[in-house]
Amino acid sequence: MFTIFSANQRRLLPLIVAAFAASATLPAGTAFAEPKQGGSLTSFSTGYRTLNPGVQSGAATGAPGSQIFAGLVTVEKGYEIAPYLAKSWSVSDDQLTVTFDLVEDARFHDGVAITGEDVKFSLETVKANHPFGRSMFGSVESIDVPEPHKVVLNLSQPVPGLMLSLQPLLMPIMPKHIYDDGQDMKKHPRNMEDVVGSGPFKVEENIPAERLTLVRNEDFFIADRPYLDRIAYPIVKDPLTRVLMLEKGEIAYAPFSGIRPNDAKRLENVDGVNMTTDGYDAIGYIHYLELNLRDKPFSDRNVREALAHAIDTDFLSKVIFGGRTVPGTGPLHTGNLFYSADTPHYDADLDKAASMLDEAGYPKGENGERFSFTLDIPSWAPQAHVPMAEYIQAQMAKLDIKVELRRAPDFGTWVKRISSWDYEATMNGSFNYPDPVIGMHRHFDCDNIKNVIWSNTQGYCDPEMDKMLDAAAIETDFEARKKIYADIQAKAQQDLAMIYMPQDFSATVYQDGIGNLPDSPFGGLAPLTNVYLED
Amino acid sequence: MVKSAPVVKSILRKIASILLLLLAVLVLNFVLIYAAPGDPVEALVGEMGGATPELIAELRATYGLDRPLWQQIGVYLGNVVQGDLGHSLYYDQPVTTLIASRIGPTLLLITTALFSAIIVGTILGVFSAQRRNSTLSHFVTVLSLAGFSAPVFWIGIMLILLLSVSFPIFPISGMTSSDGTTSTLGYAMDVAHHLVLPALTLGLIYLAFYSRLARTSMIEVLEADYIRTARAKGLSRRSVVYKHALRNAILPIVTFAGLQFGQVISGAVLVETVFAWPGLGTLAFDSILRRDTPTLLGILFFSSLMVVVMNLLTDLLYRRIDPRIKTS
Repeated sequence: MFTIFSANQRRLLPLIVAAFAASATLPAGTAFAEPKQGGSLTSFSTGYRTLNPGVQSGAATGAPGSQIFAGLVTVEKGYEIAPYLAKSWSVSDDQLTVTFDLVEDARFHDGVAITGEDVKFSLETVKANHPFGRSMFGSVESIDVPEPHKVVLNLSQPVPGLMLSLQPLLMPIMPKHIYDDGQDMKKHPRNMEDVVGSGPFKVEENIPAERLTLVRNEDFFIADRPYLDRIAYPIVKDPLTRVLMLEKGEIAYAPFSGIRPNDAKRLENVDGVNMTTDGYDAIGYIHYLELNLRDKPFSDRNVREALAHAIDTDFLSKVIFGGRTVPGTGPLHTGNLFYSADTPHYDADLDKAASMLDEAGYPKGENGERFSFTLDIPSWAPQAHVPMAEYIQAQMAKLDIKVELRRAPDFGTWVKRISSWDYEATMNGSFNYPDPVIGMHRHFDCDNIKNVIWSNTQGYCDPEMDKMLDAAAIETDFEARKKIYADIQAKAQQDLAMIYMPQDFSATVYQDGIGNLPDSPFGGLAPLTNVYLED
Repeated sequence: MVKSAPVVKSILRKIASILLLLLAVLVLNFVLIYAAPGDPVEALVGEMGGATPELIAELRATYGLDRPLWQQIGVYLGNVVQGDLGHSLYYDQPVTTLIASRIGPTLLLITTALFSAIIVGTILGVFSAQRRNSTLSHFVTVLSLAGFSAPVFWIGIMLILLLSVSFPIFPISGMTSSDGTTSTLGYAMDVAHHLVLPALTLGLIYLAFYSRLARTSMIEVLEADYIRTARAKGLSRRSVVYKHALRNAILPIVTFAGLQFGQVISGAVLVETVFAWPGLGTLAFDSILRRDTPTLLGILFFSSLMVVVMNLLTDLLYRRIDPRIKTS
């Protein structure tokens, strides 16, 4: 793919967590078509507040952000790390120094050369401003730029997932000469107006209420790329309208399409429209029932096990989600590099659940109930959380537990309740992100019990778990690290820190005639440099 | 001069009461939003994907949310008096700029829908009032019943299914195409093409209302004594209906048109959302979901301003159409 780079200097094995050789970089079926330049691709957006993925996580900013900004590397099929703005890199034997050599003729969209100073500035900006900045780059102690196109990262301890964080979605290379003016990066006006990026596409038009249009960067540092002339992102918020646009072909390429399993069935029957659930491994969107572990009855592990026996996630994924998603078996998504299926499983067994509750001291009371609780439903993924919550409510009724469902009217209301720990139970979901340190540790670390959403809000704390998390964070041997994470997943499921629901049904819908759709585990959040339109 | 003095005085009195009303609206909105659960910074932080407690505290301080309510209201009112509606938390732009950029599409949508509905509705109403048991008359009754009962988003989706998917004549959503037409005429045609379905959806709701209103009003007027007199004088039917009856029957229509035009935003929220129309309605909807308090307050204020201004204008127009009001 990136043939203009010599990759022979790569000495990165300890850092590349995945060493799977990706022999074919083109998806099957398109391998024989000749890519050609030109054409306009219409995607969509649900709206964004910034175009700079360096200060904001999520798909709305990330999908266009990864086109506007380049990163040091890209993550290819099978989590293989490939050169991008960094043409090569090397790691010291103690794993504490990483040296990058940059492509020399790369320029920002305003024509200014991209140097090591920009890389240093970008990494420091991300570390200080991105929600995951500290978990990704907290161990980067200092950054040296000995030559204009050489960057050295000095680490205080090994960071096994470092390379995965250096692609444009999580570490976009930003122009220092534009941003380094003392303004708050999170609110910098140039994140939305006159955006100067480093990636394959430039911002042509940014009307936040209507549309974002990107056009080909003619001076991109990879010759003859990108293939597409433009990518349009009309703002479409209503999910029903979006499905109709997909059906009619007004949207040609929709990663994170937000469709329901029912819509998938409908769309699959439309000529020329295809659907895939590939491309979501690195994001790893999981759902779970989060119980507030501070108070009775959920502070009692046996009560949680009783609940786990009553909630048949197999049934949920097969019947309620039409078999289009799989049950969660622990805190990691099945597409994660460190996923382990070897975790305790709780068979669907209502009788066992009932007797466990009796033993735990929650027999059926005079009012015919064992206990009751309120289950919060967030506003942001109703297509997943509403059916799950309604199913849980019905199952709990069979156990004589009364569940009151409380749908949050808006995002802020739900966030406030959960982050101030003022809840009994909530449907929830979060992204793994490729390295578990970023997306998984936050839910289990004793130090991360905070009044912040998507931290350890349920209040789980176990010294043994903490020890394993700390060990996994710095283990550079892939197999050894995988083993630790297998233990962590088993322990999480043993302790039932959360009750895992089916994984998210994340789907990309696309029209016939689009070649080289990204096969990166980041899917639509990867650069679309090689995507082209067939005749 | 002498004659117009009481008019001026009554208008001045009206303006004074309007200012008081707006002040009350501002304070009430502020307190209501303040009392609602949830808080803008939490929503913002959630949308960012999480944050540290320090960052949360910093954001609260930046937006003045750590101050007591009375101080927040005081600062806000002071700013509004100077024409400053505050700063959007989400878009990080002045709220006035934001509203200004969204008002055009909304006005275009509302005026197109409302005026078409008033004209067609009045014509339908007038015709059906003259032949109360005709097919047309029954059609108007059914139309208004359906228009009143059907949810506007449902009508929108049905029209999309019919006229965009089954018979692909109109685009499904948005205000312009993404292929970047440059000429002014091309742009206008493009917008007009996109405008048809949302305007039709909204217009159908209004049409139901105005045809019914015109019909009822016309029936009432046609039974009045002066119409009988006019007929007895031997005037032509056309002259009786259009010169004598319609002029009087149109008064309630003007009243309601004024009122409805004032409610531009509330009327457009659902239609704008379904068709991804980039107007104030979508902005209001998004601001509620995002807890973008300054933007929401700004839109509510602007919306109330529209209502009172339109009421005032309707009042003035009324005086022209109905001479009785001038003297009373």
